Amino acid sequence: MPSRNQWWILLPALFGVFFLLPLLGLVWFGLTDGDVASELRSSNTWDALRLSVLTATMTLMLAIVLGTPLAYLLAASEAGWARLTATLLDLPLVLPPVVSGIALLTVFGRRGYLGDPLADAGIGLSFTTAAVVIAQLFVAAPYYVRAAYAGFAAMDPRFEGVAYTLGLSRWRTFRTVTLPLVWPALAGGAVLCWARALGELGATLLFAGSLPGRTQTMPLAILSAFESSAGLAGAVSIAVILVAFALVLMLLLHRATTPSGAYR
Amino acid sequence: MTLRAGFSGHAGDFAYDVAIEAENELLVLYGHSGAGKTITLRTIAGLARPDAGTIEIGGRMVFDHASGIDEPPQRRRAGYVVQEVALFPHLTVERNVLIGVEDSGDARARWGQLRDALHLDGFDARRPHELSGGQQQRVALARALVRPVEVLLLDEPFSALDDALRADLRAELKRLQRDFGIPIVFVTHDLREAHLLADSVAVMDQGRVMQLGARDEVFQHPTERRVAELTGVRNLFEGHATGGRVIVDGLELALPANGVDGPVDLGIRSERCILRRFDPDDSPPGNCFVGRLVEELAFGNTHTLRFEPDGVGLRVEVEVAARPYEVLGVAGRDRWVIELPPEDLLVMPRK
Repeated sequence: MPSRNQWWILLPALFGVFFLLPLLGLVWFGLTDGDVASELRSSNTWDALRLSVLTATMTLMLAIVLGTPLAYLLAASEAGWARLTATLLDLPLVLPPVVSGIALLTVFGRRGYLGDPLADAGIGLSFTTAAVVIAQLFVAAPYYVRAAYAGFAAMDPRFEGVAYTLGLSRWRTFRTVTLPLVWPALAGGAVLCWARALGELGATLLFAGSLPGRTQTMPLAILSAFESSAGLAGAVSIAVILVAFALVLMLLLHRATTPSGAYR
Repeated sequence: MTLRAGFSGHAGDFAYDVAIEAENELLVLYGHSGAGKTITLRTIAGLARPDAGTIEIGGRMVFDHASGIDEPPQRRRAGYVVQEVALFPHLTVERNVLIGVEDSGDARARWGQLRDALHLDGFDARRPHELSGGQQQRVALARALVRPVEVLLLDEPFSALDDALRADLRAELKRLQRDFGIPIVFVTHDLREAHLLADSVAVMDQGRVMQLGARDEVFQHPTERRVAELTGVRNLFEGHATGGRVIVDGLELALPANGVDGPVDLGIRSERCILRRFDPDDSPPGNCFVGRLVEELAFGNTHTLRFEPDGVGLRVEVEVAARPYEVLGVAGRDRWVIELPPEDLLVMPRK
């Protein structure tokens, strides 16, 4: 029993239980009522998993390549447009993903504003893996950009100034001074972005559809199973596989992105 | 090597207009925070761009607004050390020092010399957080000097260190300055540090260099009231000078022979005032007045006494060391004769 002045320990314990119980329930249900083994043998499940990993990884790559310079620029600028852009970037975080999907359709959809020009250029996005990545990028990239922006903004810009006076070019300064200093923030943002992309459902469903092998990622496969004759049991079986997979990956990612030696 | 800089510009709402010059010497930029000392260093280093003016380092024009010259910081050959961001925290001492130089024999030889000169042997593989504050500043100095720089810019590099360490580092800095033969511009808001380090001093206030000159010249002959204030002159009065005498608030004093006439600011350092026992049978000699002791503060070994001259509204602050304080028997007497020697009076024509 906690001593008299440690009663507050019960609060985090309760909170932990709150998170753990549904996960345990899911796994238990999947193992007893579901059929995880047969789902593991289904090529449909493996296709969905492969697609999920592929698209989430591509989304993360694009978020890093396009988002890092943007975050750096936003952090370095004190102008009004920078603050406005930073705010706009937060918008996809609060929008329901379904709204994000509709927003993407209005522009990139076949009947969207860019639909015809894209079609003329021979680019059709409907039911393509590219559409999945676009949907995920719209929803998940802000997590990375936001974290990177906070990291760059928290760094003392005088470190870069000192590096310049030592003869380091801007690019070398960025690589050897700036990046290592903001690395924890970038890595944290990357994990969040990747995880959010992996779990993306609403925007993908609306914008890319749910075509097995092409646009049906794990969340869509789970939804599709739920709506099929397999019902809850089928959905849970796939979900258990996703949970196990995500757990392993998050553990690996955390290990890879935690700096080995702490420094101040 | 010479540094010559004269430029003006602004950073947000803050406007600055700076002119300094330093030969092979240690120039202290002295002023309160917000005076424009840091922006001056950043501008010389090439990290801030002024709106007009010129900057010349070691005979090379590195900035000239009129002819469009603006060398980037990488090519200015200016070493720059800032106290708060002295070292890159993620790199070892050796990587910190050698990060900007090609891994050449020259650079290694220089690092070897600096390592000896700054007592940094055996630290190569350490990370900054494993060093003491003083060692970190030494490594930062070494890093700034490992390239062939032609001016060294130091922004309050010792302000976080304790007194004993600061004294050591000051001595080392003076020695480095002589060995390298380059001008050093040292920013501080600490009057004592300015005294101890400077060959020459630039007193800055509100973005302007108010006075630039040899240390003793600046401290002993401030050209205007604000400089006197900033350099610790506690007694400052407004007066009117005519024919070698000045009248301050009804008190008439003889001036040093410098022929100033008209409205003046009159100053005298509190440690330059002489305190005499009051004898009612004697009339006080020239430049003396009788005053009442109205306030007394003791700070360590010195006593700060405030006097009000009879029949006059002004106050004069006198600093007395502990021993004369006891010998004179200041405690218990409240009427004294205060002498303001003409040669110690600072006379600054008022603009």
